[in-house]
Order: sequence, then C-alpha cells, then structure tokens
Amino acid sequence: MMRKWLRDPLAHFLIAGAAIWGVISLTGGEVDPEARTISLSREQQAGLALAFERTMGRAPTDAELDARIAQWVREEVLYREALRLGLDEGDPVVKRRLATKMDDLASAQAELAQPSEEDLRAWYRENASGYESSGLIDFEQAYFPTRGAALAARGEGRPRGQPISLPRNVSGMSDREVGQLFGSEFAEGLSRLETSPEWQGPVQSGYGWHLVRVSNREDGNVPPFEEVREKVERDWRSRTIAARREAAYEVLRDAYTVEVE
Amino acid sequence: MRIITFTASLATALALAGCTDSTRGEPSEAQRGDGSDTVELAEFPDRPYWGDTHLHTDVSVDAFGFGVRLGPEAALQFARGEEVTATTGMSAQLDRPLDFLVIADHSDAMGATRRLYDAPRMMVRDPVLRRWYDMMHESPEQSTRAVGELITAAANDEIPEAFRDPERQAEATRELWDRHLDILDRYNEPGTFTAFAGFEWTLMPDGNNLHRVVMFRDGSAKTREVLPYPGLNGDVTGLWDYMDAYEEATGGQVLAIPHNSNLSNGMMFELTGPDGGAMSAQYARRRAAREPVVEATQIKGDSETHPFLSPNDEFAGFGVAGWDLGNLPLTRRSTPDMYAGSYVRSALLRGLTLEEQLGVNPYAFGLIGSTDSHTALATGDEDNFFGKHTGNEPKAERAMRPQNLGTRQGRFGWHYLAGGYAAAWARGNTRAEIFDAFMRREVYATTGPRMVLRLFAGHDFSKDDWDGDWVRAGYTRGVPMGGELQDTGRAPTFLISALKDPEGANLDRVQVVKGWVDASGTAQEQVYDVAWSAREMDGASESPVPRVGDTVDRLEATYENSIGAPELRATWTDPDYRRGQRAFYYVRVIEIPTPSWVLFDAKRFGLKLPANVVEANVIQERAYSSPVWLRPEPKPRKTPGDAPPIMSEG
Repeated sequence: MMRKWLRDPLAHFLIAGAAIWGVISLTGGEVDPEARTISLSREQQAGLALAFERTMGRAPTDAELDARIAQWVREEVLYREALRLGLDEGDPVVKRRLATKMDDLASAQAELAQPSEEDLRAWYRENASGYESSGLIDFEQAYFPTRGAALAARGEGRPRGQPISLPRNVSGMSDREVGQLFGSEFAEGLSRLETSPEWQGPVQSGYGWHLVRVSNREDGNVPPFEEVREKVERDWRSRTIAARREAAYEVLRDAYTVEVE
Repeated sequence: MRIITFTASLATALALAGCTDSTRGEPSEAQRGDGSDTVELAEFPDRPYWGDTHLHTDVSVDAFGFGVRLGPEAALQFARGEEVTATTGMSAQLDRPLDFLVIADHSDAMGATRRLYDAPRMMVRDPVLRRWYDMMHESPEQSTRAVGELITAAANDEIPEAFRDPERQAEATRELWDRHLDILDRYNEPGTFTAFAGFEWTLMPDGNNLHRVVMFRDGSAKTREVLPYPGLNGDVTGLWDYMDAYEEATGGQVLAIPHNSNLSNGMMFELTGPDGGAMSAQYARRRAAREPVVEATQIKGDSETHPFLSPNDEFAGFGVAGWDLGNLPLTRRSTPDMYAGSYVRSALLRGLTLEEQLGVNPYAFGLIGSTDSHTALATGDEDNFFGKHTGNEPKAERAMRPQNLGTRQGRFGWHYLAGGYAAAWARGNTRAEIFDAFMRREVYATTGPRMVLRLFAGHDFSKDDWDGDWVRAGYTRGVPMGGELQDTGRAPTFLISALKDPEGANLDRVQVVKGWVDASGTAQEQVYDVAWSAREMDGASESPVPRVGDTVDRLEATYENSIGAPELRATWTDPDYRRGQRAFYYVRVIEIPTPSWVLFDAKRFGLKLPANVVEANVIQERAYSSPVWLRPEPKPRKTPGDAPPIMSEG
C-alpha cells in the first residue's frame, strides 16, 4: 500500500508542491491572504452563461451552468497555485501568449472603434490617390513586329500594320486595362502621347511596336467621399489596426534601453 | 479522449484569433450577391479574367502549423494588388493584380491549429496534441514538422479525436465561416474584383490525394445557410449530396474542382466506382455535373500527363519529377500502372471509353491552374515565388532542402513549381459570370504566365475568318473551348490564337492534343504541332518542327525575347478525322525556355546548384485549354414518331 502510494505521480506532485510552498513560506515569500478567497460575482456568472449561449445557441441549464462554474473555479485555483509556484516565469509559451495579448489589446481597440466621419474624411484626403479612378482613353493602333517596319509605315496615311489579336480600335479603356492587354511598357508610352488626329510613335509593347492615334482622353478623378465611404472605412480599419499595434509597441519600447551584445 | 475542454475559453480564443480581421461596416447589396445586374456585360466573353481558386490562409489547419499568420483579409488585399507584409517579414506584392480569388481553407478542423496554438497548454491533455502544441511553439522548423506528422496522421486515419469532434468543430467553424463570408463580401467588387466563397474538401484515403476545392457562385445570404463540409472520412458522393442539398435549400450554385490527381496513386480518375465495383451511369452523371473543371497544374506539380503515358510527347515531363514517386505524404509509392488514373490526359481518354459503355462521360472536364499556396499569398510568377508554405518563403536553403511531408526521401524544394493561374473567359468580372464560365468549361490553365488563348471549333472555318471579326465568327459559327461539337461527317476545323503574356516570354509553339477511341475500342492520343515560331532546323529535334533555341543565362536568371513569336495562330483541320469517332481536342501553348524560381533564388542568394538541378530549372512554361469534344451523330431511333434526338447522351 505504502509503496503504491510512493509511486503515484499525483502524490509526488502534491509533496513537491507542498515542499516548494513550504520553502517559499519559510523564506518569507509573500502569499496574499486575499488570494485564498475565490469569489465569482453575479456578473461573472452571467458572463459564463452568455459565453455558453453564444457557442451553443441556447441558454445553459442549471446543471450546465454549475459545471461551467466548477470548471471556472478549477481553472482559477490551478492558475493561482501555478502563479504561487512561479510556473509562469521563464515559460516561453506564457511569454509568447502574453506578448500576443498585448498586441491584441492595441488592435482590438481599433477593431471596435467606430471611426468618426471626420476620421474617415481625413483618411480619404490623405490617401486620395488610392481611390482615384483610372483615366480613360480612346485610341487606334497598328502593330509592327519591328521598330524599322513601324517607322517605314509612318508615312502611310492610315498604317495597316500586321495582324495580331489585339483590338485595332480601343475606346473608353482604363489605364489599368491598357496595361493588362498591351503590357505596362505600352501603357507608359501611351501616357506620353498627345491627343491628336496625327499618327504617333512607334510605341513599344510586350508584342512589338505600335503606331498610335489618340483621339480622346479623360483624366482619372477621385470620386466624392460618399461614393467610396465603405471602401474608405474598410481600408481605414485594416490599416489602423496595424498602425495602432506598432504605435503601442513604440510607446512601450521607448521605456526600455536595449543592449544587444 | 477529449483534450481541449475549454468551451468557455473557445469563444475567447476565437475572438483573439480573428482580432486582426475587420468585420464591421456593411458591404453594399451588389457586393453581397452573385453580381447579376451589377455591371455592363460584353456581348461575348471579351477577355480572360485571371484568378487563383486554391489559396490557403491561417484558417487552414496545416497552413497555420506551417507558420502562416496572414488571414483571409490579407490574402484578399494581396490578390487585389496591394502590398502586404508576408509572415516572415518581407514585403510582398503582385506585379499585376488578380481578377478573382477563391480562398479554399481546409474544411476539416477549420481553425483548429490556431485554436490549439492559442489554447492554455494545461488544457491540452491528449499526448499527441500536446506534443504538436509544444512543437508549434518551439520554432518554425518544429512547427513544420508537427504539420508533417498531422498530415501523415490524417492520411493514416489517426487524427486525435478531439481534433475532429464534429460538434465542437461545428461551433468553431460557424463563427469562422460567418466572419469569413462577411470579409469576402467586403472585398468583392463587381466589375473590379471577385471574391468567391469556398473551401477545400480533403478526402485522403491512405494518403492518396482525392482533394477538391469547392466553390460557390453566391453571396453570403446563401452561403451562410451551410457550413464547409468536412472530408477526412467518407467518399465523394457524400460531397455531392452536400452540394445537392445546398442548391436545393438556397437556389444557389456550387461546383467542385479535383486537384493534385498526380498524388492520388491512380485513385482520382478510376475506371471503377468508388466502392471498386463497376462505375454506374448515375455516378458518372453526378461527377460530370458536379466537377466540370480539374486543376491541372499547381505548386505541387503538373498533372497534364506523364512520360510513361505519353512516350511520344517530348514536352510530357513538365512538373512531374519528385511528385510521381508516391502519394501526398509519400506513405505509399507510385507504380506506373497507377499513372493512368493520376493524370488528366489519360482521364479524358478514360472518359471517352466510359462514355461508350455508360452513355455518359464522367471525365468531360475543363482545365485550370492555381497555386495551392499556404502563405495567403497567391503568387504564380517565377521571380516572385513566396513558397508552398511559410516554411519555404524566400530564403537561401529552400531550393535544396528535402520537402517531405512524410518521412521518406525523394522530394526537394526545387521540385515545387511556382504555381499556376486560372483564366476564365467571361463577359464581366462578377461571381455569376466567372462561375458560369467554369460551369461551361470556358476556362484554361497556365503555369503562371498570362497568355491569352482562344480556341473555337466548327465545321466551316477557314483562313479568311482571321481577316474579319473572327471572335464573333467563332461564337456564332462554332463552339469555344469547353464546348461540344456535333459530328456532321466533316472534319472539324479549329481557329486557335495564342498571344504571349505582354510582360513575359515569347511563344515557341502551339499544339493540339487529340484523344480518341479507335474502331477496336482502344484509346489513342496524338500531339500535333499546329503553329511554331522557329524557322531553321538544327537537326537535334525529334519532331518535324525546328527547336526554338535557348537564351537563358543560368547564372543571371535572364532570357531574351530574340527567339519565339509574340502571337501564334492556326487554322487547323484534323487530318486523321474518322466519321463517328468519339474524340477530344485541347490546345497546349509552349513558351520559349525561361529560368524557373530556383534560378532566381540561386542568383539572389548566391547559391551553387548541382548541374542537373540547374538544367531541370530551365523550363518551358505553358497553357492548357479546356478541350472541345467531338460527339458522334445521334443514332437514328428505330421507332418513328419519337422526338428527334438532339443529344443521345444525357
């Protein structure tokens, strides 16, 4: 009987715990007497019931709430004992978990915050270029596989060019679409051409060379705030969370002197 | 053996897990729906829309374990072209934004690793889970190892029970799914960017990959009615039942995309039914209806065909090395007799054979590419490869390091492809338009470059059509890729145009791959070169077409567009047409040789690679169109008075 008891891990745990506690007590380690009282307020119980309801979609029965409370108490007891034993110190898991929580504290505020109209408008003004609609352009193009062929054709009244599966006439196309269709090099070259009845170029693309006649161009504009409000709020929130996190860290970080040897 | 007894703290953990997502602010009516009547539509599909249908974020059980800490919101921002910070701290951005995205997190244990990671350690009582928990917290390397064990356990059906306890899982999934659908709607902007709801269904008997990406046409009002369907147990008809039930209950639409058939050890495209018995017509019909598209190329290899199956196809070996050794976790080796069930070309052939027996073709699918990236970053370009998972985001050692999910040898970093994309011919960029393009198979696969590929099949096309509005001619007098052409007794003619990626490499050649069943009932295949750029024969080529050459500077990871062509066109009539023959035709476009991501890595990190690795990473990227099927004329009915048969098969 005695031997079996000696082999029981739980017994080992209790004895070791008692011994450590004894050492701490004897060496004057402080144990807050208040910490020996665990009280669960009405509000906290309601919180447990609410948490249950949120996951299960119904209120807990009395038995279920009792079980929840017992579990809460158990966790609290073990948690306090663990703190008393200093088990939180030097534990990389605890360390990372707490660091994550600090990070989350900062971002949670941004998540819950309802930005004021003013905040959003200010954000919109500062980041207006991000909401700018693309410019639209009308043009006609003739394709040539080489620069030489394109130059030679410049004298023609209306150059025919070589066949390629690209539109000859383009109307009301956004800069972005021009880039997708002809490549970024062409989109850039096109942006430097005048609106004119004359054929210009050649402009290089991912495919070759193009003579181009730009017949119309509408500049992009930043739509009024009301039209892009949702987008502004989405961007504000997602960026603010990251910024708050960094800002909160900076504040804390400034209070330390870090020496990396 | 219930390990995570923390129902109460579950809500807390979830709230924390989701804390970086912004879920407030209401998306508009147009953003929440399927996009019908929100944008002006072209008369015919006028451009390919580019997307990735297979992206994982930190919600996926394995992706989180591999280390990714970016969620769906960052994934959407990235796909739309914004700059984000990758998990490992590097700034990441796409050269060109995508037009659509399906975030396909694993439905099994959705968010479970994140919850395990966030749980108080003392609450993790299962010894196996506790071991993984400690490994995940110890270091990125250990975390990756833990996921390797997790995948192997899943393959061997040894996942700890608490990881898949359906009741607990359902609660957790509900919250994740609801929040996820809100985020999708917020980033879904008809006309600009389409965000699809979806998930990955991870059926994996004995580690043989039978995974599907499930993709919804609808907005949150409908998708909220269901939860992602878990897949570790069961068979594929269970998934189809789920899809039927969804459509019945909501009036919405959903499709499934099989992928990584190359890791299925022949099980993805079997000649038999799932129980090993003869395939039934009903099974074939359901499969054809539910799975109109297959993902043929992605980071974990290319599934078009294998040199063993296509010995006369000199371009057959792309993206095969390493992956053809065995199943997903390499717990079971592959043998050549399995390959016919693992690659799409042979599956398309099997489909023809089965159609003769059953009256319906279970494998009449279109082809797309995607990434299957587990980094939340949908990167497909060789010079911007962020890795299969966070464990191999850019760093010097990733190219040569063994990348075994299981414990055996044989797969290395350099076997990964940079990932593919899906192109959809649609009339506008909305959920409805792009989804419908998938349903009618008017889609194609690329290994990353954005070539523009048109294919029309008809009976009266000629060279002269190129002089006029040939796209209109294609749609009005023929069928586009994915379509079916009725045999009329005349050889079919194809209008094919392949335009290079304007930011990428020139084209080497365009080929037509034909598969048919001959008079003796044997399946046959043939690759025809139908247009090519090179003029000079160098004597080295086995085919009658001259080799295009090679301009790749191995050390600098560069190439020149001094060879190849910007566009290749063909008006091609099948020279071996036989009346009454059941056949499919798809187009393969081959680029000139270019450096793969491995050579970019070597340049960037100053690596000395073995010569065989260098040569294996001078690649010819490609596009695969969806096939066009030639269907035999309906047999005349014996009884007069019957309605004239339009299509003899359902």
